[in-house]
Amino acid sequence: MRPVAIIGAGKTPFGAFPDLDLRALAVAAGEKALHNANLEPAAVESFYLGNFAGPEFTAQNHLAPYISTALGMTGIPSTRFEAACASSGAAFFQAFMGVASGFYDVVMVVGVEKMTCQPTLRVTEILAGAGDCATEVKAGSTFPSLFAMIARRHMHDFGTTRAHLSAVAVKNHENGALNPDAQMRKVITLEQAMNARPIAEPLNLYDCSLISDGAAAVVLCAADRARKFSERPVKVLGVAQASDWVALDRKTDITTFAAARGAAKKACEMAGLGPGDIQFAELHDCFTIAEIVAMEDLGFVARGRGGFFTAEGGTRRDGPMPINASGGLKSKGHPVGATGVAQICDLVQQIRCEAGDRQLKRHSVGLAQNLGGSGATCVVTILGGF
Amino acid sequence: MRTGLVYTETVVHLAPERFAADVPYQVVIVKLDDGGSITARVDGERVAIDDRVVETGVRDGISFFRKQRSNRIGPP
Repeated sequence: MRPVAIIGAGKTPFGAFPDLDLRALAVAAGEKALHNANLEPAAVESFYLGNFAGPEFTAQNHLAPYISTALGMTGIPSTRFEAACASSGAAFFQAFMGVASGFYDVVMVVGVEKMTCQPTLRVTEILAGAGDCATEVKAGSTFPSLFAMIARRHMHDFGTTRAHLSAVAVKNHENGALNPDAQMRKVITLEQAMNARPIAEPLNLYDCSLISDGAAAVVLCAADRARKFSERPVKVLGVAQASDWVALDRKTDITTFAAARGAAKKACEMAGLGPGDIQFAELHDCFTIAEIVAMEDLGFVARGRGGFFTAEGGTRRDGPMPINASGGLKSKGHPVGATGVAQICDLVQQIRCEAGDRQLKRHSVGLAQNLGGSGATCVVTILGGF
Repeated sequence: MRTGLVYTETVVHLAPERFAADVPYQVVIVKLDDGGSITARVDGERVAIDDRVVETGVRDGISFFRKQRSNRIGPP
């Protein structure tokens, strides 16, 4: 296996864009990444698409060549990967292996989702398809309700509080307000966050990420060739993917995700690093409780301490472990299939010192954690400077 | 009828159209006394973690449980 670098990154703003269809979003992000890599489309040898539910949201299928040809790439392998909210993390993992194995020198990964073309209740139904439809979904579970049950048990077992959950939302909105590409650039108070209307108790509106349109793209290259294209390549230090049961009721303990722990362990081993070496992270805060569980699974804090650490300010931009300086899924937006690659773009931005008002002091080793469903897939990626 | 302990629970306020008429409704994961777990709905009063529950039946393919009365004779 040989070292791999990211030579280009680009994404669209996240939000509701009635005039941009799924392909237009994906092409916009792809072109930005190509431009950022100083690369012509013809140099790309394979195309990897991360997308969760394009066919359900837009009726269009066969999405990978539909997008890659529009980007000016013809004749190359072009394939879509689906792993719920970890779709583009999974596509990135496959793309990494394509280059690391020596099979390709230059590949592109795009993540995209077009969601706002459907009404909210239909979106909830489509997202529920990432759960076990024969059991939990049939009984009336929605995605907010699955994470609500995780939150309830976490509160019961560890003393996590309503205010701890809201502290995640307040912090992520504070960061997102500084991100020009974020969907909801709005600072919220703890009182607002705690008293919003209930969605699935104990989770309320401000515990839930957004319904978004958006796309993100990166270009990967063999590390020894990276400087031919980019003045500021970023190294993939480690990446791993793991899986678990889809149904929440099949997990022995729902306050931790085995797939997240497994992927983190492997990615850290590949990088030769431990949790203490990670300087900042983008974690999958599809719901506030998910960020708390993730920081515990990754070993940034002890089991059960995630909520307390957040309320103490530990994850703020000026804290000891900055989490979601981008605003996270919560404020930046969560176009499901785009999220995994978008997190990687956010790491690249920090490592290159291009994050503007959100720029962190310690930014040379960052980690992204991309979770699918209620923990059935997890991809963990660690990036660092050259 | 199956019995068990409530492992976790939520009350759903926003649901897809086919469940919209039921809102708000409680969803639970029950650790069954005979082993395994099940995601189910709740009949009657709201239940909390560690409550003992008993299955009341299956309607439209969905299992329903209710809080077990404390004087009821059943498994420990």
